[in-house]
Amino acid sequence: MPSTATRAPVSRRRLLQLSGASAAVIALGIDARSARSEPPSELEGAAAPEGMFSLGVASGAPRPDGAVLWTRLAPEPLAEDGHGGMPLKEVTVRWEVATDEEFRGIVAHGRALAQPALAHAVHPRVEGLDPGTEHFYRFRAGRELSPVGRFRTLPAEGEPAESFSFGLVSCQAWYHGHFTAHRHLAAEEDLDLVVFVGDYIYEYGITETNLWRQGAEVGEAHRVEIETLEQYRLRYALFKSDPHLQAVHARAAAVAVWDDHEVQNNYTGALSDTGIPEDDFAHRIAVAYRAFYENMPLDVAALPDGTDTDITDGFDVGSLARFSLLDSRQFRDAKPADAAEQHREDRTILGTEQEEWVGERLASSTATWNLLANGVVLVPIDEASTDMWDGYPAARRRLLAQMAEASNPVMLTGDIHKHVAAEIPADPDDPAAGALGVELVCTSIASDGDGAADAGTPETWTRHEYVKLYDGRRGYVHVRLTPQEMVSSFRVVDWIEADDTAPEQLRARFTTPAGEPRLIPA
Amino acid sequence: MSPRPAVVTGLAAEPVLAENSLTWDSLGFDPLIDHYRIHAVPGEDAPTEAEDSVLLGKTVYPRFTHAGLGPEGETWTYTVQAVSDAGERGEVSEAVTATSRPSVTATGTEVARIGEFDGRTLEHHLAPASYAQIPERYPEALIEYEDGVDEPGESWPYLLPGPGDAWAGGIPYSARWTVSLEQAPSEDLDLALWLVDTTRLGGVLRLRANGDELADLELPVGATRGSREGDATVPGTALKRARFELPVPAALLQAGQNVIELELAEGGWVAWDALGLFARG
Repeated sequence: MPSTATRAPVSRRRLLQLSGASAAVIALGIDARSARSEPPSELEGAAAPEGMFSLGVASGAPRPDGAVLWTRLAPEPLAEDGHGGMPLKEVTVRWEVATDEEFRGIVAHGRALAQPALAHAVHPRVEGLDPGTEHFYRFRAGRELSPVGRFRTLPAEGEPAESFSFGLVSCQAWYHGHFTAHRHLAAEEDLDLVVFVGDYIYEYGITETNLWRQGAEVGEAHRVEIETLEQYRLRYALFKSDPHLQAVHARAAAVAVWDDHEVQNNYTGALSDTGIPEDDFAHRIAVAYRAFYENMPLDVAALPDGTDTDITDGFDVGSLARFSLLDSRQFRDAKPADAAEQHREDRTILGTEQEEWVGERLASSTATWNLLANGVVLVPIDEASTDMWDGYPAARRRLLAQMAEASNPVMLTGDIHKHVAAEIPADPDDPAAGALGVELVCTSIASDGDGAADAGTPETWTRHEYVKLYDGRRGYVHVRLTPQEMVSSFRVVDWIEADDTAPEQLRARFTTPAGEPRLIPA
Repeated sequence: MSPRPAVVTGLAAEPVLAENSLTWDSLGFDPLIDHYRIHAVPGEDAPTEAEDSVLLGKTVYPRFTHAGLGPEGETWTYTVQAVSDAGERGEVSEAVTATSRPSVTATGTEVARIGEFDGRTLEHHLAPASYAQIPERYPEALIEYEDGVDEPGESWPYLLPGPGDAWAGGIPYSARWTVSLEQAPSEDLDLALWLVDTTRLGGVLRLRANGDELADLELPVGATRGSREGDATVPGTALKRARFELPVPAALLQAGQNVIELELAEGGWVAWDALGLFARG
């Protein structure tokens, strides 16, 4: 977490804390020119593998003056050693950014070094761009050109932006079905950002029993629960080979928080849920966190030092919105042994430092909308759901008090494979206290397969008066912010297992007027 | 460029029932270790290479269990090698040799048995995932099974719940296994209890023979998955097998009916692989 409320996390401070060897590695993955004068191995002619851009391109960590660009060279994305078929040597990757799709007006360019130590992923940060402007980018390695991606720089600081739109997605169990929802999201005309709120991958072995994506086959290497770096790398490559996911990444900048499956189901902090000793599990966390960095368009703060990393991020959309991306896994206390432990005052899901960080960001914000994103549901649903904020009631009270300090707080969540929309009770113990904000929970992209509107246990959710929507089909949420209102559109598709052709439907649309924490059916 | 990983040191091999358990010193996180390669060959000579032909497995953890060894005991020699995030391999460690402990299931003569010693719960009642029916079928928290009369698929539920299992009422369950002997044994018998998994709670399994205390077995912390998955022999399984083998003194046994009682006194369920009573020789 950054030490001030408005500064971007990390930056050079963290870079310098890292050991010499690691710092050199990252510096090269971000900007080759600043790290060494003579770039090594330009891949030319026969030495260059074909199809190096098979995993597509992405951008993330948007700012008014730029973004992080991402690609990972992988001519054989499913090579079982996790290196994507690349030779185990350094390769120079050139990037360029233009304001037009034909790249006539190039406004920035540079080089990054793709290295085997980072699975030949590069994360150059582009700076010096104009705010509030659509940009196009592409990479070149050897003689190959990547697909073209686009992103919009954020409005200038304090700028009264007219609108800002984003997609909200989670839970991409690739093997449970096609990424039809991503196909529709990529086609959204109005899209400035995509927010991934966890379970970008799943760690489970993929076998006959859970491979519901018809037409797909996977080899032996995918059948086991993943634990090594090469297995996590391979798993990201498998999921990211999906063309619709690639289209979403190429369409707009993406930001991401994780939930549990980026490491292991229901892990808490340093603890495994399957009894792996803590000292051992640290090794698994380290490789899982590393693979997350390698495969996402993240700033360098998210590059772990051992088991320690910082995936939080904060940015402002002019004066319209402030986003704070939370890590609700790495710092959480263990599953409670009993109700007394569950209700302890000192119990935390974010950790003390992050609680302070988000509190400062909310208290100091002058933005109209204050959006938080995290992995698990905030509103009270069921005491037994100890993996969600229900398992951390004291921490929830503290966060709700912080959210009450900011105008129009909104929580963005995934995890449960259901569309849920809720008006957040100001005081969960006092129904008369009214609402303080809203929580938008996106259903899964693929997890749980086709699903159905009433899949799961709807009554567990809808028995609460403040829950205004429940739907157990696959889909995503599209959110449009203006100074006057937030419009959230919950989109669903009826099937994903058979193929990717299901049409998109609007399941529900809510208007939340600024200053009125309600979900009004539109 | 990421440096080449160091050589693995501290490699040790501990013989376990039907397994050899390997541990070594972690190489830490810089360079980040992608995984360790475990090479193995049968016998006491070290592997002469580090290629895939002698690759036993890979792990991210500084430990590895060579499971599935024959119950009669097997001798293997091992080396370990680290692979870095950049795909570079370190030097191969020094070799260690271990012989797994033989099991009474191989060395003894079977007297009575419930299930197959095969790493699976599947032959047992309600396996692999219908645990919710156990409290309905056994409202007294008592399971009774008579050797030679009952069958595992009908009368031996795959889980024995404990007080840590709220779904089963949060009470200790007992199983009474009745075994008839033609005559009182002159020598001690051996009892083999093999488990496919236990829970994150661990626990205590209390054993009695004809009412006399036999042992309190400390259950290891398991994966808490054996309630939903029944096969611990699938590659990469999260299930954590456990095996107990202990003598039953001849003095506690008698001609005619004998009752071995198993009570899950503390902690969470055990998922049964098999139980057996064996005579020596």
